[in-house]
Amino acid sequence: MKIKRHSIIELAEHWTVAVSGIMLLFTGIGELPLYKRYYFILNIPGLGWAGDYFKHLTLHYIFAIFFLAAVIFHVLYHGLRKDKGLIPRKGDMGRSVKVLLAMIGIGKEPPSEKYLPEQRIAYLGMGIIIAVLTLTGVVKIIKNLPFVYMPPLLNGINTLIHTLAAFLFLVAIIVHVGIVIAFKSNWPLLKSMFTGKIDSDYVRERHGIWYEELKREGKADD
Amino acid sequence: MELTRRDFLKVAGAAAVSGKIISAEEAGAFTGRYATIIDLTRCDGCKDEPMPLCVKACREENKRRFPEPVKDIQPYWPHKFYEDWSKKRDVLNTLTPYNWIFVQKVSLDDGQKVFIPRRCMHCDNPPCVSLCPFGALSKEREGNTVISDKLCFGGAKCRDVCPWHIPQRQAGVGLYLKIMPKYAGGGVMYKCDLCNERIREGKQPACVEACTQRLKEKTALIFGERQTIMSLAAGRVRSEKLHLYGDTQNGGTSTFYLSQVPFGIIEERLRSGKEKFLMAENIVSPLEKAHDLAKYFIFGTVAPVIAAIVAFMYKGKEREKSSKNATHEDQET
Repeated sequence: MKIKRHSIIELAEHWTVAVSGIMLLFTGIGELPLYKRYYFILNIPGLGWAGDYFKHLTLHYIFAIFFLAAVIFHVLYHGLRKDKGLIPRKGDMGRSVKVLLAMIGIGKEPPSEKYLPEQRIAYLGMGIIIAVLTLTGVVKIIKNLPFVYMPPLLNGINTLIHTLAAFLFLVAIIVHVGIVIAFKSNWPLLKSMFTGKIDSDYVRERHGIWYEELKREGKADD
Repeated sequence: MELTRRDFLKVAGAAAVSGKIISAEEAGAFTGRYATIIDLTRCDGCKDEPMPLCVKACREENKRRFPEPVKDIQPYWPHKFYEDWSKKRDVLNTLTPYNWIFVQKVSLDDGQKVFIPRRCMHCDNPPCVSLCPFGALSKEREGNTVISDKLCFGGAKCRDVCPWHIPQRQAGVGLYLKIMPKYAGGGVMYKCDLCNERIREGKQPACVEACTQRLKEKTALIFGERQTIMSLAAGRVRSEKLHLYGDTQNGGTSTFYLSQVPFGIIEERLRSGKEKFLMAENIVSPLEKAHDLAKYFIFGTVAPVIAAIVAFMYKGKEREKSSKNATHEDQET
């Protein structure tokens, strides 16, 4: 039996942020003078244009529009619904350590809600990074308008924060994707990010607390 | 009617030909407090001096800021080269980290020579400032563009995105040495900052002062309040039928060149002489496309708000409907 884990809206939110976020990283790194320096990147078929800062800028703006839209939608939609599933709870740090240790075969994983405690911690971390990137990015767009003057100190600090937060975002994405792919126990979660559904056996096994809730709501068998 | 940046450039281009200045202010662009006229009808390259006085004054004024690189400069891996001007500090015929202004010489068919002092144009909307990923460049209220040698990583992106490729790099100096000197960064970029400290104190840039001392009221470099400078330039363009450069290029700058010789001819001569620093007339700001795209961020902000409210209401109704059905079924059973 399959259990619905994500709605179409949630899948659309996740993949809009993921695709636009990765493209923002690629084009953002293109704004650092790196692709020209590591010139072999320009020799990769289809990437001959990657040394052009203005092409990166145009693409960065286009993907930023989607990214910003997804972030605003996410905050507002789930805020209105009062969804709290991904908000960290008391004791999540300790439980996250247990979950991560269980992934490498040490100890037994505690039963989880719909989201693992480490996912809630990761959500908070990713959320802070995305919020910083979005806010500083919007400031950069405003600053780039020809009729806007931004004091040099504010401009310098904002630009530096945006660049440094982008590095944190890159690390966060690598860790996020890495943990999903590296541990077989996480593969059903990855599949559910495409289908929206997950095996009830898997839920019973790993997300015991959520499974009990589903049973109470009549959405899962005894 | 709203005047867009593109409309402005078209109109300004035509106006430049007809001799009328349309200011960047008219296009709604931010402009700084000061501007400079570089009058090519007056500059003779200081022919009786060993070194043009503007160049000499600039070097004297800024020598305390010139780079002193480490001895063992590493190449920009995986490349095998690095940019080092420290052993060529006396080079005067181009821009270097030790020479922030130079006088370019153009010979015309009739034997006439044009001397062109070249330095940063101090654009109204400088791509170097907008695109520096480290925030090392700034546009000051005075209108000048400044590079912070403390923050600059020396990636030379500012030189790439500058339509005139003005900033010059010195390796073996700056922040990059403290991070990953072999793999990222390449030194510090240097260029004219219009004597940032001097103009803040109400003084003239060193080059302007030196030129004025030599040529008195016929000075080739005139610095002052932007509106005054623009009026002066416009008057000269009208009364002497001069050609103007710098008012519309790259969306407007705070440097106005005046010349009897059309800039198209000057550019053609510079190109045929394989000069590194050119004076193309039709320079559209490379940031224009980004400016055009910026308005879509309003859509990217409003659309998700509407979508979130609609989705919330729709999902709410759906939930209500399913719970009603569930109650109805319970009652039936």
